[in-house]
Parts: sequence; structure tokens; C-alpha cells
Amino acid sequence: MLHVENLTAAIGDKPILKGVDLDIGEGEVHAIMGPNGSGKSTFAHALAGRDGYEIGGVATLDGSDLLEMTPEQRAAAGVFMGFQYPVEIPGVNNMYFLRTALNSVRKARGETEVGARDFLAVAKQAMELVEMKQDFLDRAVNAGFSGGEKKRNEILQMAVMEPRLAVLDETDSGLDIDALRIIASGVNALRGPDRSMIVITHYQRLLDYIKPDFVHVLVNGKIVQSGDHTLALHLEDHGYADFVNHDLDDAPEKPLTGAPS
Amino acid sequence: MTIHPDPSSEARLGALDRIGEIGYPTKRDEAWRHAPHRALGELTFGPPVAPGIGVPAELDNQIPVLEGPRVVVVNGSVDASLSNLAGLDGLRLSSLAEVLAERPEQVAAHFEQGDSGIADVFVALNVAYGADGAVVQVADGVVLDVPIHIVDVGLPAAAQNATCTGVLIDIGVGSSATVIETRVGAGSEFGGSNIRTTIALADDSTLEHVLLQDVPSVQVHLSRVDVTQRAGSVFKARSFNLGAAYGRIAYNVQLAGTGAHADLSGLFFGFGDQTLDQQVNVVHAAAGCTSRQTYRGVLDEESTGVFNGGIDVRPGADGTDAVQSNDNLLLSDRAAINTQPRLEILADEVACKHGATVGQLDETALYYLRSRGIAADEARRLLINGFADQAVDDVGIETVRAWIIHRLGHDHA
Amino acid sequence: MSEATREIEELTEASYEFGFSTDLDTDVAPPGLDEEIVRLISAKKDEPEWLLEWRLKAFEAWQAMEEPDWAKLDIMPIDYQAISYWAAPKQKPVLDSMDDVDPEIRDMFDKLGIPLHEQKMLSNVAVDAIVDSVSVTTTFKATLAEAGVIFCSFSEAVQDYPELVREHLGSVVPVRDNYFAALNSAVFSDGSFCYIPKGVRCPMELSTYFRINSQNTGQFERTLIVAEDDSHVSYLEGCTAPQRDENQLHAAVVELVAKDRAEIKYSTVQNWYPGDENGVGGIYNFVTKRGRAHADAKISWTQVETGSAITWKYPSVILQGDRAVGEFYSVALSSKRQQADTGTKMIHIGKDTTSSIISKGISAGNGQNTYRGLVKVMRSAENARNYTQCDSLLLGKDCGAHTIPYIEVKNPGAQIEHEASTSTVGEDQLYYCRQRGMTEEDAMSMIVNGFCREVFNELPMEFAVEAQRLLSVSLEGSVG
Ligand SMILES: Nc1ncnc2c1ncn2[C@@H]1O[C@H](COP(=O)(O)OP(=O)(O)O)[C@@H](O)[C@H]1O
Ligand SMILES: [Mg+2]
Repeated sequence: MLHVENLTAAIGDKPILKGVDLDIGEGEVHAIMGPNGSGKSTFAHALAGRDGYEIGGVATLDGSDLLEMTPEQRAAAGVFMGFQYPVEIPGVNNMYFLRTALNSVRKARGETEVGARDFLAVAKQAMELVEMKQDFLDRAVNAGFSGGEKKRNEILQMAVMEPRLAVLDETDSGLDIDALRIIASGVNALRGPDRSMIVITHYQRLLDYIKPDFVHVLVNGKIVQSGDHTLALHLEDHGYADFVNHDLDDAPEKPLTGAPS
Repeated sequence: MTIHPDPSSEARLGALDRIGEIGYPTKRDEAWRHAPHRALGELTFGPPVAPGIGVPAELDNQIPVLEGPRVVVVNGSVDASLSNLAGLDGLRLSSLAEVLAERPEQVAAHFEQGDSGIADVFVALNVAYGADGAVVQVADGVVLDVPIHIVDVGLPAAAQNATCTGVLIDIGVGSSATVIETRVGAGSEFGGSNIRTTIALADDSTLEHVLLQDVPSVQVHLSRVDVTQRAGSVFKARSFNLGAAYGRIAYNVQLAGTGAHADLSGLFFGFGDQTLDQQVNVVHAAAGCTSRQTYRGVLDEESTGVFNGGIDVRPGADGTDAVQSNDNLLLSDRAAINTQPRLEILADEVACKHGATVGQLDETALYYLRSRGIAADEARRLLINGFADQAVDDVGIETVRAWIIHRLGHDHA
Repeated sequence: MSEATREIEELTEASYEFGFSTDLDTDVAPPGLDEEIVRLISAKKDEPEWLLEWRLKAFEAWQAMEEPDWAKLDIMPIDYQAISYWAAPKQKPVLDSMDDVDPEIRDMFDKLGIPLHEQKMLSNVAVDAIVDSVSVTTTFKATLAEAGVIFCSFSEAVQDYPELVREHLGSVVPVRDNYFAALNSAVFSDGSFCYIPKGVRCPMELSTYFRINSQNTGQFERTLIVAEDDSHVSYLEGCTAPQRDENQLHAAVVELVAKDRAEIKYSTVQNWYPGDENGVGGIYNFVTKRGRAHADAKISWTQVETGSAITWKYPSVILQGDRAVGEFYSVALSSKRQQADTGTKMIHIGKDTTSSIISKGISAGNGQNTYRGLVKVMRSAENARNYTQCDSLLLGKDCGAHTIPYIEVKNPGAQIEHEASTSTVGEDQLYYCRQRGMTEEDAMSMIVNGFCREVFNELPMEFAVEAQRLLSVSLEGSVG
């Protein structure tokens, strides 16, 4: 469903993504791991359509060209991004925000809008999923939320928006173990045959809860290694040293020797 | 107002011409709303009075004792015998009269203010009559550890009760220095001093400028500091507005180069029927500059405090980051505070904040101290001192800090 | 320039939705102002001698006054002799039944979205509609009469309740208060009068709509609200004017008197024609609004100002009685070449008086927005409290925001806090909303409305919705 080929991204004349190739099939969960500053968030933003990058290469979702679309068109096409740093919007009610978002996407797809009552039911369900209290919806979007609350709010939004492709950028960072469990079980509940996910993290920890079908290692703007979930375990033990110390442009495409099986 | 013709240069004559044209400020002038207009009108200005009077002994414990370079100005003229003009490596310290006579081009900018630079009649008077004072020139790439001390002494006489002094400070590229200006006076006569300091900070230079205003409470004191900052320069102003019947300290800071930073802090502490007036205007004229204004007022007895602080963000000064605060304690039911924190923003992508508070001592804190056995009066004093001393903490040089604490009478705690 | 900034510029070039001009037959006085015109107005309205005297005194005072010096305003000089000071739709102004209202006027109100027909009435809102200078009709009179509430046009009040009018007129805003108040006092044509007797809670929201229709007429209404001890009233004011390429002058005076323990809530949604992108046309809105709050009384001003070429307005509260409360909530938007200079004055006289000020200024296009406020604590005001928060939002790079608060305190028991901030709509906020599927325009409107939330929360429900819509319309435009 998602096809990414030789995707590049630069800010000014600073190249950040240097040619990423990635194919994701229906219902698959892919993890992207990598050291800080390797370009993980940039990759997510490139898919979601953030301004300010020079983008090259190809990215299609269900055959349509994502790179041609505005952020809201991508959202309507089914791309949902869970932000590493969710944005605070003072004064805007969380529930109102979410309903407007959902109805914007539905409208763009030619679907009918969801009324207030129906929406409340949807929201309630989603809230249970991430174990949030009712008053959460009455507060302003992310304003004054703790780190954990912000991340849970992202998952809540994902549950309501029902995306085709969810890109979760470090949804696990800054969470205690309980919050991590809540988020992971939320994500697992939302896995399904018509929903694919990209889970970005730089800890293996999250992947104990969310079993990815594939793991990719992104270093210095390139995917230098791909494998199954055991690759994550290897990284847990060895860190990224194997990758960062090499001349990355020549990084081997074969599986690492000595990876535990 | 009495006008004595004297000025030698054209610029100074021109300023003399403008005096009548501009006239005295009135209550309708925003920057002079709370000034004692009658008293201002009773000041008589003229050229500097010949030196040789010396400094009365009573001032000895009013002037901080600092080793090193020093200029002492008495009634608008430099007293060479009390000064120490021997420069240091990279520092040239001179009397303004000498520079005006020998190399006038180096102080031309101080006098050639143009019509727009002459903001009020007192600037004009200072341009016309402030022909002596101090000139501090720091070469490029010099770091001065020793503070430069400029002492201004006003001894009003009946014939001419007000004096003008000029101070110039030029800091070269990448250099850093500290200048302390102490303003004192003696006698029980009415009179005033009008002191203008112009400061030019070259790229990446740093200046800490401490201003101690402590003239007798029968006098009027007018200080004006004009600062131009080039790229990457840092200006730290520390003002202590303590003396005078009307003590006014005005700053006009132009952030003219990218990434310049101005950090102004001040304390005004009034007793009796003093009016202590702070006029601060920081102009963000270049992109990416930051500024901070932190002013504290403590007003006791029948004193009045004024804070009129502006942040002026000009078109194109994108990425400005400016914060301003004025916190005040009113200690008596006859004291008053007038505070006006202004923001004027004409640029994009700015983050500006300002705040002002007026309040009393924190009851909970008082209670806390008393519950630890401290008597109510003592507890009050501790809290007031604590509030005021936070302004003192911003001063970089230990001896100066200690002196201010001493002057405030806070050192016996 | 970023995508978002460009978009904001497009968004703010909205056209004026209410800029139609209704073809009404109007009875207009010749332009110009002298004592004769003042006498003519008074005669047309069949006023008692004392009121004529009062007007003449004001006129004399006005002639001796100087026009204010327009600090921050960029303004064309006003030619007071080119303005016509009297215009009335040609029909008998006061009617008994809704059905008697001129169909064209009804039509106009329908276009404005103000349903005048009983059946279309917003539930529980009594409306006094003022076109140009004359009060056209007041609805729900009977219901109000039952509660003892008087709500009528000012002219009617002069005829029917002269004692009440005489006692309170000019008691809060004296004729010499300022240039425009003096002018208004001399030539005011009509307005609303409202009286709530002791202990009465007004059974419905009262509402006035102002509309300037004729060309080159000034509109000078006078509103007087008197709330007796322990009474309560909520009053709404809405304004529109047609699109004209000449500036029109609006100089109203509103006086509120809240006696002991009374509460007056006064809400305004002001949407006068702002002029076009080039600053041609638009209303000059110079308004004096002030309330006097007696012991334990509360006066609350809420305003949403999206219109006018120039707004100059400082709804104020004199906190006279002990424990009186004053509030000011304001949203002011200036886009195109609009200039808004607005704020409040809170004068603390009584003990334990409190005031709070929440001001939200939005500048877009070439708009200039100034908050100018005064918090004054007199010696007598033991233990006064004020909290002020002024936030400015800048949309684009050619606009400006100015915050000029004056704080003058003469009592050591006062606690005053002023906070202000200036910010822009973050690119990241827009992007976040768009990632969730909203168009840039919707995202912008949502963020700006969020910025104003604290103020909108103070408005009665129907007005809050209206205000939100107005704000979106004013920010909307050619896009989409
Ligand atoms: N706005 C920006 N301007 C310049 N460099 C940026 C910007 N955003 C990110 N970068 C740089 O791009 C690289 C990748 O960043 P990012 O995608 O956030 O990494 P990750 O999410 O893997 O930690 C880093 O070197 C970072 O400094
Ligand atoms: Mg990241």
C-alpha cells in the first residue's frame, strides 16, 4: 500500500534523507529505529507533508502520489502521524478539534459528517482504549498536558481518525512503564488488515509490546539494515555502533553476522 | 531658565538655538507626566563652573572606593587632581574638554544629535553646555578586568544651580569593560545635574554599566543614557535610583545589529517625598536581538515611583525576543506608583512579554519568618531587603555590590 | 515568505458581508452643525426645555474643546460641517405592532440576520433596532412591562419617564468628558433606555442593533441603563453599516448605573464597515462607554470588535462602592487598514474593589491594534485588586500590535498584576491541524478562535456563536 523509493529530503542545502526505499503491505507494522538525528522524524514529516523540506523521489499510498498533496489531502487519503512533539493549541477544545478533524476528512472523502451525539460515542470508545478520563476532552488541545497525556492524546486521535497508514513518531519516549503499556495496547487494538503502521522509536522497549513485522535501521538519512523483529534485539545489545562507525554510503545490505536468532 | 552663551562648536550652538524652540516639557508629554514641572523650570544652566572647589569631606562615604582608572567631575568640570586618568593597556581615559579641544572628531557623534536625537530640552541643554566630562575609549579586542569609575559631584551655587556633564563610552570590537558612574552632590541648596552618557558598542563587545544615583534629596537629577549596539554586542545596565527630590534615569537603547542583547535591571527605592522616575526604551531595529528589562521599585513614606518602559519592535526585526517586568512594593499609604510597560510591535515572529505588579509583602512569608522567631519588624525588613537586593545581585563586581548593599543599609542583617 | 504567512494574507482580505445599502426613504437634515441644528434635533423630537438646555450646554462645551491628538491613529481629518446630524427613515418611528414595520426595514434586518418578526425572534431576546438615528421598534415590550422593566427608545423615555432620564443622563459621562462625548450630548438623536427596578432580574436578554444607513450621516446614539438595587440585566449590542467609500462617523455614549448589589452585563459585537484594502471608506467609531458601580455591584463589559476603519473606545468602570466589581473582556481584530485603539479604564475608589481585564488583540493585513488601558487605585481604595492580561496575535508582517497599559496606584493595600504577551500563529500549529485533515483556512480560524476563547466564554450563547462566525468571516476571503 505504501511505496517509497529513493526518497530524499533536505533543509536548505543540508541533506537529511539521502534516498530511502521502503515498501509496506496491507496490515503490516514496520518499525524504524535509529540514533538521534538520523532522520526518523524527517521521514515521518516527509510522508505527512510538512513545509520547509526539499523533497525528491517517490512516495505513493494506494497508488496515489503523496508528494503532490497538501497535508490535509494526505490526511484525507488516510495518513495519520503521531507527533514526537504534539503541538499545543490554547483555547481550542480537544473534543471540538477532533470532531472538526474527523469531519474534515470525511467531507474530503465525500462522506457524511458525524453529528455531535454519534461523535461522543466514538470518542468515548477511543478514550477507554487509552484509559483517559472524560475531562480530557474538555481541555484545550495538548495545552498543559503532561508528556504522557500528549502521547495518549495522539493515540486517541488515531483511534478516532481510523487511518490507512499510521506513522507514530517516538510515541514511547518519555513514558513510564504503565503509560507505555496503555499506549502499546491501544496501538495493538488498532492493528488490522487494512491498517498499516510505521512505528518510529529508538528503544527496543516498545517493540516488546508492539511486535513489528519488519524492523529497519535508519542511520544518517539512509536505511542501512532491514530485518525482522530480532534485529531490534540485536540493536538493544549492541547499539548503533556497528552502523555509525562504518562509511555509511557503503553499508552492507546483508544481515549482520552474529545477530542472535 | 537662564541661558549663558558659550558653546564653541556649531552643533552645540545649534542645540542652544533649539532650547527656546523646544521649551520645557509639560504634563502632557508622556515621558514627563510625573516630573515636577515647576522645579524643572527653576534650574539655571550654563557652561561648566571652573574647578578647584574640591569634593566636600562629607561625600567620602558616599562614593565607593575603587582602585583603578577614575574621572571625577565637579560641577561639570573634570578635577584632574582627584582623577586617575592613567590609562591601561587598550584603554584611553580622558576628560571630555581635552578631547573636544584636541581631537573633536572623536566626540562629534556625542554632540551632533540632529533634531530627532534632541528628544527634549534637557538633551539640548546638555549638548550646548556639557562640554566636559569623561571619555572612555576601549580599543578592539581588549578585556578589562578593572572597572572604570566616573564620579559626578554637583555642588549647586545660587548663581547657577544646575550643571551639565557629558560621558562617552566607546567599546571596540570584541572588547569588554565595566564602567561605574556614581552621581552624588552636597549641600542643602536647590539645584540639579543633567548628565548624558552616550555609549557605542562595536560588534561582539560587552559593557556592564552601573549607575548609582544618590544626590541630596533637595536636588533634581536627570540622567540620560543613549546606547547604540552593533551585531552580537551585549549591554548590561544596572541602575540604582536612590537620591534626589526628583531622580530620573532614562535609557534609550538601539539594538542596531543582528543578535545584540540588552539586559537592563534597576532598583528605585524612595523615601520622603521623592519621585523616582525610570524611562526605558529598547528599540529592536535588527533581527534576532534579545532584550530584558527587570525593574524593581520600593516606595515608602510619601514617595512616588514611575516606570515607563517600552519595547519597540521595528519592521524587519524578526525573531525578536523581549521581556520586560516591573515589580513594586508600596510600603506606606501615602506612597504611589505609576507604571506603564509598553509594547509596540511591528515585526513578524516575535516573542514579547511584559508584566507589572504592585503589591505588598507576602503575608505567608512574613508569617513563616515570625513562626521561626523573627520579630515582625525585622521580618518585614528582611523581606524588603530581599526584594531589593535581587537587583543588586545583577551587578558583576563584588566591591560594587558590597557598596550598594552598604548604601541601602542592608549589610547589618 | 512561508506558505502559511501568504495564506494568512489572502485569508484576511475578506469582503464585507453586510455591505448592502437598503433603499429607504430617509428624512435627512442638511449637513453642518450649529446651534440651530441642535435646536432642530430637539424640536423634531419634541423635547422638554431642560433637555434642550442640556444639549446647548454640551454644544457650547464642544466648541471650546480641542479634537484629541490621535496618538497612534492614522486618520483623515474629520470635517464636522460636512456631516448631517439628523436622519430618520420617513415613517413614524415608533410602531405598535411588528406588522406595521416597513417591509424594507424588515428585509434589511433579515439580511443582517436579525429576525425582527416575532416568530423568528431569537428566543428570549428583546430587540430595540436603531436605523440611522431613530429607534424603529422595540419588541417584547409587554413581557418586560410585566416584570416592571422599562426598555424603550431614548426618545420615548424622554417623553414617558423624564424624571428617570433627567436624574441619570450625564451622571456617569459628563458632557465635558471628552470631545466626542460632548458632541454626542449636543446632537444625539436616539438610543436605548433601560430601567430595571429594585430586586428584579430581567426576564430576558435585552438587545439593540445599530445600523447606519444614510450616506454622510453621523450616528450619535445615547444609551442609558439604570439597574436599581439588587437587580440584574444582560444587554447585547450589535452593529452594522453599509459599504460606502466615504468615512462615516459614529460617536455614541453609553452610561451604566449599577446601584447596590446590582449587576449589569453589557456585550457588544461590533461589525461596522471597516473600509476596503486601501483604507477607503469605513466607519470612524469613537465611543464613550462607562459604568458606575455602587456597593457590591458588578459591571461587566464584553466586546468583540471586528469592524470599523477606526475604533477608539475604552469601556470603563468607576468602582465607586465598596466591594464593587468591574470586568472587561475584549477581542479586537484589525485587518486591511483598520486601526483599533481600545481598552478600558478601571477606577478603584471603594474598598475591596476588584477588576479584571482580559484583552485579545488580533492584527492582520495592514491592521494596527492598540490596547490602551488604565488601572487607577485611589487612596481610598483599600485592598483593591486588579488582574490584567493582554495577548496579541500577529498574522502577517505588515501589521502591528501595541500594548500601552497605565497603572497608577496610590494605596499600598492594592494588588495589581499585568501580564501581556505577543505571539504569532505557529507554523507547527497549522501543520498539526492540517495533518489531522483540516484546510489551512479552517485551521487558522480554529486557532484564532481558540486564542479568543476566554472572551467568547463571557458572551451569551447566541452572541458567542455570532462572534465566532464574524471572526471567521473577517479572516476568511478569496481562498476556497
Ligand atoms: N528545521 C531544521 N533545520 C535544520 N536542521 C534540521 C531541522 N530539523 C531537523 N534537522 C536536522 O536533521 C537531522 C535529522 O533530524 P530528525 O529527523 O529530527 O532526526 P531523528 O528524529 O532521527 O532524531 C538532524 O541532524 C537535525 O538536526
Ligand atoms: Mg525524532
